[in-house]
Amino acid sequence: MEDESILSVKDLCKAFGGVQANSYVNYEMISGELSAIIGPNGAGKSTFFNLLTGYHLVDSGKVYFKGRDITNWAPHRITRLGISRAFQVSNIYPRLTTYENVRQAILAQQRRTLNLFVPANQLARQDTFELLEVAGLSQHADMLAGNLSQGDKKRLELAIALGSRPELLFLDEPTAGMSGEETHDTMELVARLNQEMGLTILFTEHDMSVVFGYARRLTVLHLGSVIAEGTPEDVRTNDEVQRVYLGEEA
Amino acid sequence: MKRMWWLALVFIVVLILPLITGEFWVHVLVEILILGLFAASFNMIFGYMGQLSFGHAAYYGVGAYATGLLMVKGSVPLPICLLASMIVAGLCALILGYFCVRLTGIYFAILTLAFGQLIYYIIFQWYSFTGGDDGLQGIIPPDVLLSANAYYYFTLIIVVAALIAIWRISESPFGYTMRAIRENTERTRFIGINIRRYMLINFVIAGIFAGLAGALWGPFNRSIAPDLCTWHQSGIPVFMTVIGGPFNFFGPMVGSVIYTFLMAFVTGFTEYWPLTIGLIITCVVLFMPGGVLGLCEKKIRVFRSRAPQLDPIETTEGKSSGYGG
Repeated sequence: MEDESILSVKDLCKAFGGVQANSYVNYEMISGELSAIIGPNGAGKSTFFNLLTGYHLVDSGKVYFKGRDITNWAPHRITRLGISRAFQVSNIYPRLTTYENVRQAILAQQRRTLNLFVPANQLARQDTFELLEVAGLSQHADMLAGNLSQGDKKRLELAIALGSRPELLFLDEPTAGMSGEETHDTMELVARLNQEMGLTILFTEHDMSVVFGYARRLTVLHLGSVIAEGTPEDVRTNDEVQRVYLGEEA
Repeated sequence: MKRMWWLALVFIVVLILPLITGEFWVHVLVEILILGLFAASFNMIFGYMGQLSFGHAAYYGVGAYATGLLMVKGSVPLPICLLASMIVAGLCALILGYFCVRLTGIYFAILTLAFGQLIYYIIFQWYSFTGGDDGLQGIIPPDVLLSANAYYYFTLIIVVAALIAIWRISESPFGYTMRAIRENTERTRFIGINIRRYMLINFVIAGIFAGLAGALWGPFNRSIAPDLCTWHQSGIPVFMTVIGGPFNFFGPMVGSVIYTFLMAFVTGFTEYWPLTIGLIITCVVLFMPGGVLGLCEKKIRVFRSRAPQLDPIETTEGKSSGYGG
């Protein structure tokens, strides 16, 4: 099972106006991977995620999830199939409590959202508390999500994505705006989800140091195209990457 | 539990009120109940789903006409008429809502308004069936409900039952999904919810309860007219909900109490009722954007000096997501 292809992307293209945001991107993932896509701002990382999750329609190319063509499916169908995502800017329910935020995702995953008659507060309690615990948000369960700190909002974003019980999880800059310590904790959690729960995870990051510690395989996007792929060591020593990416950082 | 005491107190007052007031005020009370249910059904769309329907009177009017026609032309017993009104209004909401839920915001409001007016013109023009602008007369409730007090208690039972049902729905996973759609439609899509389908179901349920409210109106007023479907009528639940507070379950009912009592009172000595309500709405929107109950909640919160909460009217942050870079 380990070597089963979970995600396969063929010649994905997307242009916004005259800007080629993704240009003939090919990408493969096997079950159980923890990999990253890196690239400077504007490289097309978020567009890539938006195309894979149905947020944007693709111009051309194909996306396969476990061998199934999911190109241009509606987001809710893709989610139900077992793909979920956390957004770059935390995308939560600010006027619901932290608990209700997470519960909503779990109720949706359990197909209970069409239930009109049982009070929601009697359902999915155990699952919700467990997930809050995993995300380190238990002590903020009753707080309105809009009042959480930035770091906690990002953690909640992750918890909501996990509430869908995905097999494949996309994290768009999961540590953006976090302090050094928060970044470390979050990446440890991501690694744990991958190792202990067997989640296949793909994340984007523009901070190279975060990536090198965790991802086993890196893909570098630049101006919408893949320019390098391989182990962190390979990528680090790749001349072109040095030039377009690391060179800019210095 | 504190809340239960309040409810019990209100319920006792509501039970004995018609016994100590004159018939005119009993009529006002019935009107409060019917319009309160109408507003509560509207608020399923406005407060919980976050969309402004400006054509909700269509379903209210269709409900009223279903019962009116069945009673006048078919002498069908009232309970069956009420049920039929709910079904007909629900079907109507299903057909029109199918198109409305494709849009959001101002476009949703405009389309609901347009469909509302469409229903109005159909009823207005269809003389042979609906009586056109002559309306329908002689909708007489069964003998046991002929007195003002009897009809009041009958309406009270139906409206309370309907409000309990709406309350249950609002607290169910479906109700929370509506809040989720209101708060962040995009996120809700990405937890696997088919937004349009859920919005349509909610639209239909709201239409069903509006139909029930409309059905209660005919036998109370003894006649109905096409104005029940106009956009003026659609404005009433909007006003009531804004006055009472859209983010509280009891907001529409409180709004109905204020609006209907004021109207009964003010029209007693001046014809400038529209001006009066216009000024009131302006003041509410400017000075207490959460409505009367929103203001009360805020005061209670300050009184208890708990942790600062988000203002209920504050628009959602975190709504935009990262689709840059």
